[in-house]
Amino acid sequence: MMDATILEGIAQVAQEHLGWQGPLTADMRLVEDLRLDSVRLLTLASEVENRFRVLLDEADELAIETVGDLVAIVRRKLGA
Amino acid sequence: MPDGLPNKTLIDLLERAGRHPEGGIRFLDRAERDRWVGWTEIRERAQGVCGGLRDLGIGHGERVALVFPTGLEFFEALFGTLLAGAVPVPLYPPVRLGRLDEYFRRTARMLEVSGARLVLADARVRRILGEAVAAACPLLGCRTVDEVRRTQDLNIGEAVRVDPSDLGLVQFSSGTTVEPKPVALSHRALVAQVEAINGSWQDTDGHRESGVSWLPLYHDMGLIGCVFSALDRDASLTLLGPEQFVARPALWLRAISRWKATISPAPNFAYALCLTRISDAEMEGVDLSSWHTALNGAEAVSPPVLRAFCERFARWGFRPEALTPVYGLSEAALAVTFSDPSSPFRSVRVERDALAREGLVREAEEGREIVSVGRPLPNFDLEIRDEGGRALPPDRVGRVWIQGPSLMDGYLNAPEATARALRDGWLDTGDLGFLRGGELYLTGRAKDVVILRGRNHAPEEIERSLEGVPGVRTGCAVAVSWMPELPEGNTEGERLVLLVEEARNASPQQLEALPEACREAVLGAVGLAVDEVVVLEPGTLPRTSSGKLRRQEALRLWLAGELQPPEPVTPLRMAGAVARSGLAYARYRWSRNG
Repeated sequence: MMDATILEGIAQVAQEHLGWQGPLTADMRLVEDLRLDSVRLLTLASEVENRFRVLLDEADELAIETVGDLVAIVRRKLGA
Repeated sequence: MPDGLPNKTLIDLLERAGRHPEGGIRFLDRAERDRWVGWTEIRERAQGVCGGLRDLGIGHGERVALVFPTGLEFFEALFGTLLAGAVPVPLYPPVRLGRLDEYFRRTARMLEVSGARLVLADARVRRILGEAVAAACPLLGCRTVDEVRRTQDLNIGEAVRVDPSDLGLVQFSSGTTVEPKPVALSHRALVAQVEAINGSWQDTDGHRESGVSWLPLYHDMGLIGCVFSALDRDASLTLLGPEQFVARPALWLRAISRWKATISPAPNFAYALCLTRISDAEMEGVDLSSWHTALNGAEAVSPPVLRAFCERFARWGFRPEALTPVYGLSEAALAVTFSDPSSPFRSVRVERDALAREGLVREAEEGREIVSVGRPLPNFDLEIRDEGGRALPPDRVGRVWIQGPSLMDGYLNAPEATARALRDGWLDTGDLGFLRGGELYLTGRAKDVVILRGRNHAPEEIERSLEGVPGVRTGCAVAVSWMPELPEGNTEGERLVLLVEEARNASPQQLEALPEACREAVLGAVGLAVDEVVVLEPGTLPRTSSGKLRRQEALRLWLAGELQPPEPVTPLRMAGAVARSGLAYARYRWSRNG
């Protein structure tokens, strides 16, 4: 799966489950730019897992700060 | 021992429950697969951990920090620690995708303040915890249950003698680095609390109450309210993790239906989350008619949320009389008042001005709606007092003071904070409210605490994250939260508001960017989303004579549209200030209604 497709999927998750309106770009930070608190971070993590049918683990999650980081982890998990 | 107080410990409850094969915990995973573990097995497993803790030299009264997600290991560690005569200190595990630096600082501080000798964690959490443990350096480090557990010779020999007056649990009432408040609860207080709660529903020969909970086990409502109360009745309890609930709120209601649970509590925000994040499809085949007590506590209760929840879930058998607003706090081991579990929630509409300005309760049709949180539990007393400590009559707003068998011993190793909270056997809750018809109605808080999604936060910590934001007057910002009046159908909970004074030399560019910069700073440092930033002229925030910021007074003035700078004011300047604070409020209302 292409990065652009993964980003598109994450944008849809953000729209549907986090009420995010507007464009989503790879350089956006989850906490500072998307304004996600703990409940919303959790929602994002689990909805991304549902959508792409992947499981994130702690080691992956420690490294995730931006939307781009999340895209990269999902791509790796999908083995693409 | 004073008359009527229970002469039992949590260990006595475990021993008794361990002899009843029908009670225990059912763990649910995210695929809704269940695993049942009876109290008997939990007790046996805990003995192995207890033996291991003794081998390590953990002794009577020593603290052991527990950092686990919801699961069997938490129970092995919890009861193993108790059997060893030691004191569990449950702490929260890291949040998914969350910022770790802040988590490390808080956890290290809580470990330090609790004086924990050992940290028990599951293997996954331990990999992450390293830095926090290194900073706090508990003597025996951080270990997993498997490392500690004795696999042979489960006979732990002579049981450690634990007295009901011994410390049974240390709970943090808010996870803060500024002034963490470790609430120290004796076995006696814990047992008194669960007996008081369990007095609200009785098992009979033909019917046994059972619970479902997704609440965190490091929180009093989850641990004391659900786990210990089930233990006391040798009952069964179905658990899912808070992260599972947040990921898919339907799991909570589906579990209640599947196991015909009768009791399940949650904070207000959870009921709101069900409204927005559960689809009809997920509710297929669900029957909520067994659920007779849906407790709602730990944060302010919003009437529109309750009504919307009843309306939406009536189709699946949810009964309005199940909703039961309650009031409690960690310092009382949990619950203080319960509303009548068998009737619909009650509320009163009161004149806003008389309430806000004079603390008087006058009914008014279009007034502010306030929910009753009910009457004190048996053996608890409640008084509304003025600032001078004198008891007030009904329908007058004052500080809520309570007395009862489950009050804390105090804050651990903090005699001054304890002396401020406990006086002559009474606890100053720091909450504001009034009594009417013997029932308590909460109107706000006198204490400085921000409560969001059922969790308490210290305002100092939020304010500190604003230091260094360009254009903010140093040390001149307050963080407050409040439950707005919302139109029907709106399900938001408490709102986090920053009232920030601008620096005298702030540039126009800085001022323009100020609200955004403040939001970003708070999210980055403490992970909280700010709902509103109000920029004020220098000197506007009210202070005490010693110069300390008065947060609740600032909130009151802002809500009343009276937050104004103290300078000699020209009419024009005054009009500007009023317009600005009024505008912020109007903007907020507009954005919510829009």
